[in-house]
Amino acid sequence: MKRRKVDLQQAPVTAAKGVDERFQAATPLRALLNKVFPDHWSFLLGEIALFSFIILLLTGVFLTLFFDPSMKEVPYEGSYSALRGTMMSAAYESSLNLSFEVRGGLFMRQMHHWAALLFMASIVVHMARIFFTGAYRKPREANWAIGMILFLLGFLAGFTGYSLPDDGLSGTGLRIASAIMLSIPVVGTWLSASIFGGEFPGHLIIGRFYIAHVLLIPGGLLALISVHLGLVFKQKHTQWPGPMRTNTNVVGERMFPRYALKQGGFFMAVFGTVALMAGLFQINPIWLFGPYRASEVSSASQPDWYVMFMDGLVRLMPNWQIYIGDYSIPPLFWPAVVGLGALTTGPIFWPWIEARKTGDKRIHNLLERPRDNPERVGIGAMAFTFFIIATLSGGNDVIADKFHISLNAMTWAGRIGMIVLPPLAYFISVRICLGLQQHDREVLAHGVETGIIRRLPNGQFVEVHQPLGPVDDHGHPIPLEYGGWVVPKKMNRVGALAPAVKGFFFPVEKPAEAPVSPGMPPVSGDDREEITSGRK
Amino acid sequence: MTTLHDDATDASKAVDVNDPRLSRFDIVKEGLRRDEIEIITYESQFQGKNSKAEKRVVRNIAFLFFIAGLGALAFLGFYIWWPWRFELGETLSDFYTPLLGISLGISLFAVGFAILAWAKKLLPHEVSIQARHDGGSPSDEQKITGQTMMFVADELGNGVQRRPLLKGAIGFGLAPIGLVAAAPLIGGLIENPHKDELPIMYTTGFNPGKNGGNPVRLTREDGSPIRPEDVSTGGQMTVFPGIPHGATNEYADSPTLLIHLRADDAQATRDAAEADRRNKGSMWGDYVAYSKICTHAGCPASLYEQQTNRLLCPCHQSQFLITRNAQPIFGPATRRLPMLPLGVDDEGFFVATSDFKDTVGPDFWERP
Amino acid sequence: MTSDTPAGRRLRVFSRRRGAPSKARRRLGAAVRMVAALALAGGVYTAFAPGAFADEPRQLSATAQEGKQLYDNSCISCHGRDGQGVDDRGPSLIGVGSASVEFQVGTGRMPMTRQEAQAEEKKPQFDKNQTKQLGQYVQELGGGPELPAGELYEDVKENPEAIARGGELFRVNCTSCHSFTGAGGALSSGKFAPALHDATPETIYAAMLTGPQNMPVFGDNQLTPDEKREIITYIKVQLQEDRDPGGIFNLGGYGPSTEGIAIFLVGITILVFTSLWIAGKS
Repeated sequence: MKRRKVDLQQAPVTAAKGVDERFQAATPLRALLNKVFPDHWSFLLGEIALFSFIILLLTGVFLTLFFDPSMKEVPYEGSYSALRGTMMSAAYESSLNLSFEVRGGLFMRQMHHWAALLFMASIVVHMARIFFTGAYRKPREANWAIGMILFLLGFLAGFTGYSLPDDGLSGTGLRIASAIMLSIPVVGTWLSASIFGGEFPGHLIIGRFYIAHVLLIPGGLLALISVHLGLVFKQKHTQWPGPMRTNTNVVGERMFPRYALKQGGFFMAVFGTVALMAGLFQINPIWLFGPYRASEVSSASQPDWYVMFMDGLVRLMPNWQIYIGDYSIPPLFWPAVVGLGALTTGPIFWPWIEARKTGDKRIHNLLERPRDNPERVGIGAMAFTFFIIATLSGGNDVIADKFHISLNAMTWAGRIGMIVLPPLAYFISVRICLGLQQHDREVLAHGVETGIIRRLPNGQFVEVHQPLGPVDDHGHPIPLEYGGWVVPKKMNRVGALAPAVKGFFFPVEKPAEAPVSPGMPPVSGDDREEITSGRK
Repeated sequence: MTTLHDDATDASKAVDVNDPRLSRFDIVKEGLRRDEIEIITYESQFQGKNSKAEKRVVRNIAFLFFIAGLGALAFLGFYIWWPWRFELGETLSDFYTPLLGISLGISLFAVGFAILAWAKKLLPHEVSIQARHDGGSPSDEQKITGQTMMFVADELGNGVQRRPLLKGAIGFGLAPIGLVAAAPLIGGLIENPHKDELPIMYTTGFNPGKNGGNPVRLTREDGSPIRPEDVSTGGQMTVFPGIPHGATNEYADSPTLLIHLRADDAQATRDAAEADRRNKGSMWGDYVAYSKICTHAGCPASLYEQQTNRLLCPCHQSQFLITRNAQPIFGPATRRLPMLPLGVDDEGFFVATSDFKDTVGPDFWERP
Repeated sequence: MTSDTPAGRRLRVFSRRRGAPSKARRRLGAAVRMVAALALAGGVYTAFAPGAFADEPRQLSATAQEGKQLYDNSCISCHGRDGQGVDDRGPSLIGVGSASVEFQVGTGRMPMTRQEAQAEEKKPQFDKNQTKQLGQYVQELGGGPELPAGELYEDVKENPEAIARGGELFRVNCTSCHSFTGAGGALSSGKFAPALHDATPETIYAAMLTGPQNMPVFGDNQLTPDEKREIITYIKVQLQEDRDPGGIFNLGGYGPSTEGIAIFLVGITILVFTSLWIAGKS
């Protein structure tokens, strides 16, 4: 009998062949390994949201193992002495127990909550990056819309999660949610009664929110995040203009190994940040809030930060009630239902609105520097100013208290600020953009200011400029064309001086490689056609 | 960059991957060519092998991994051995969560930065360019797919058009099935808010109907009844209906604020109440009771300022003036807080002589 | 307030008091007002002194005599002779009791430096003994609530239920203004409910008893002395002394507002710097 010889070296090859015979994976796998991604710090902001979502799933599954979404009244008998003997819902009791009786449970709960705040914060920051660089333009309008829906779903996930512990603060939030439903014309009372199963608070709402929070909304998030990433993959990432970068290519590094390693490392950094915050900063100390009682409330009752803009709008709304015969529309309806609806769905249509306004039907894979589109920056600044004022107004009682400002004055400041400041922000940001544009053009036309002052024979003083390109017969620089990317404006950016601090934000430049991006290493080839006009 | 594109797809540049003379990198490059990628720069970050700089980077990365391991071990150590059960006062267990967070945070950060440093500092520098195709599929593909879809539509549509019976049958058959899917969801969830004999939207626990037709006593949160002298002058007390479960969330619209006003404030309040159709006769002596549930969004409007006689709601800062029938004077609330008609029974305890005469709680469309 | 209280060791993100410039301004204002008050007091004294001594109706105890001296120097300009009150300036002190003095003077709220929406807590101008003397004087002017003798809080080891009952009462009666964490809160038009982190049992007890400024009164019929002690036990043991189990920093206990600030200032900031480093050229 001949012993079969096992060639260990050939084993992986055989296995791989076996897999490929069944799945024909070789070609797509190679394409994946080779896929090129552009590299820029601002492209990593969306990843923070993705990674915090993964952390949310991991910690959330842990929490479900101990949480009991029931509103049955039970006496508390746990180790937190200041509530012992208090009657409370089973949901609140199990939230306390998973904080105090489960080893490491409180840490998990705090990670979950911080990850939720980080998820929403990074969505907003990521969205701002997309907006101000025009990354949503054709062909990526759909992904922008999906992103807005993700924000709305995150908002709902956050609110339902905030409600689940059934503590004093979350019950107050639920009360307001019920009032918002009640404020809807015609169907308000029916809607509230249907969702709460009768009169507020009833016995069903925690169970219903629970299934929404752990299954329906995360399911939606997961599905949409997959589509969102799939589209990024299919359409390939946008890139900044720069040397060699055109609308029809992607300049960067291959997915494996460098890009994937960076992603893995960044995931660990996000995870580490959440863990550090969960350890260092107390979040939502539910044991101090007590069980929800309709008669109890705390000053500074606020929702989590991403709901605060809605709460702020509700606070700023004047007391205008509309009466229609025997019926009426309460003022709560406008900011909380119409306002929230408009603010979360309106921006979805922005890419199409802009395209229609500019008549731009071209495909854009190159980003625009914010300064090159002052109009867009102005509108974005306006929207964000509005959002920030609304959010600050959501905490205006805390601001009033801690900075010794009259509460009533804060409300009025918010009301007036909401109308006056956004147009002001528009105007200022447009002016800034135009100024920056002009400075770029100036440098391209005349060269970099050297700081050297020369006195001419006639007594006149002039500053010596270092031309960025060739000069004409008189020694004057030939004006260069703007290429959509950073123009060097300091002598050390063109290699005259060593930078004062060795590069953290900015690389140490080598001479003769002037206008390259911080994320773009110098090019060795010399036959490349450059689309910027830095130096020809 | 058309040159690059041509370059990458140019079949003449293809190599025979079975050629034994090719290095592995040559084969990789062939793969890149097929994926329309060109490597522009690919160079080591260090000069020469085993350079000083390289060694330093390797040392740093190793150190980071070492820290990561230490942090993870510390996490496990804290997790297992640190006292974790909650105890009152300043105890070691207060540091359980912080220690877990710090050790895990450091560990994960170190892993992250080790991996990042590896990718950033150790791997060769690389710039690659990949061609991008967008702007739709080739026009013949578009046409073929379009025609295929039209063909499918024809197959189905013509069939239906030629067979009108089918058309009706489909309509009749499918529409109800769609409704069947929606029915249990809507039918199960829907609740008529006005179905009860004492409609929930307009009735609180103070309704005599909840107490067999007798006036309902005002009680504290523990159910004990209240005598007038129990509330201090310039003081307030949260009161609940004196019925079973009256102080629980079952009667979430019933919490009421019983206020004992100072004589001059009480006079002003009485004057205002007497002049009002609904609140007439609702005060008892210098005592007045207002619903605690804000008419704006339902939070307890319970921040009682005893000098300025205002009630402030902490949720949206509506302010109500007690001496003027709790009329809103600031903030988004439009409606005053309903006043509870007060009386004192034979035993000297406060009762509500009737339910609130206004609807309690947040406003809604059909409120009378 | 004072660093010798246990609560003084607690980490806090914001301080209730404002920064240096306003403090300086306040000091300056205080000095100006002090001079004005002294001048006024002197004027009042010369105008009324003979008469004041002539028709002194009450026999004051020795302590109260000392208190009267202090009163006539520092309080009379606003609260008037014999605590009768001055219109638009200071209320009458007849019947407010020594508990009021304990709260107002003991926490430095009185004497006030200027007319504001609300008297602010500051460094007390009178020591404990002087406060007692003033309190005795006001007590003898027209009676009123007094602090009881003995401990004002329970020993949680002997009476473990006190803290839970106190917590319940705290949430029913106190949190709507002072917040769940005792961080205080805003009231209408510049008034506020102060934070309880540094409040002593005497201060809290006196405040409940007398209802200073806009705080409602919680007399002994409403919250029995035992219940008051339970509330103080909860504030002292749970809110002041107990460390939060969930972290090193409690972000001031202001709820989601400061949590929202933290996620941007710490979380997003760390990660943006990390991504700058990741994509930066090495």
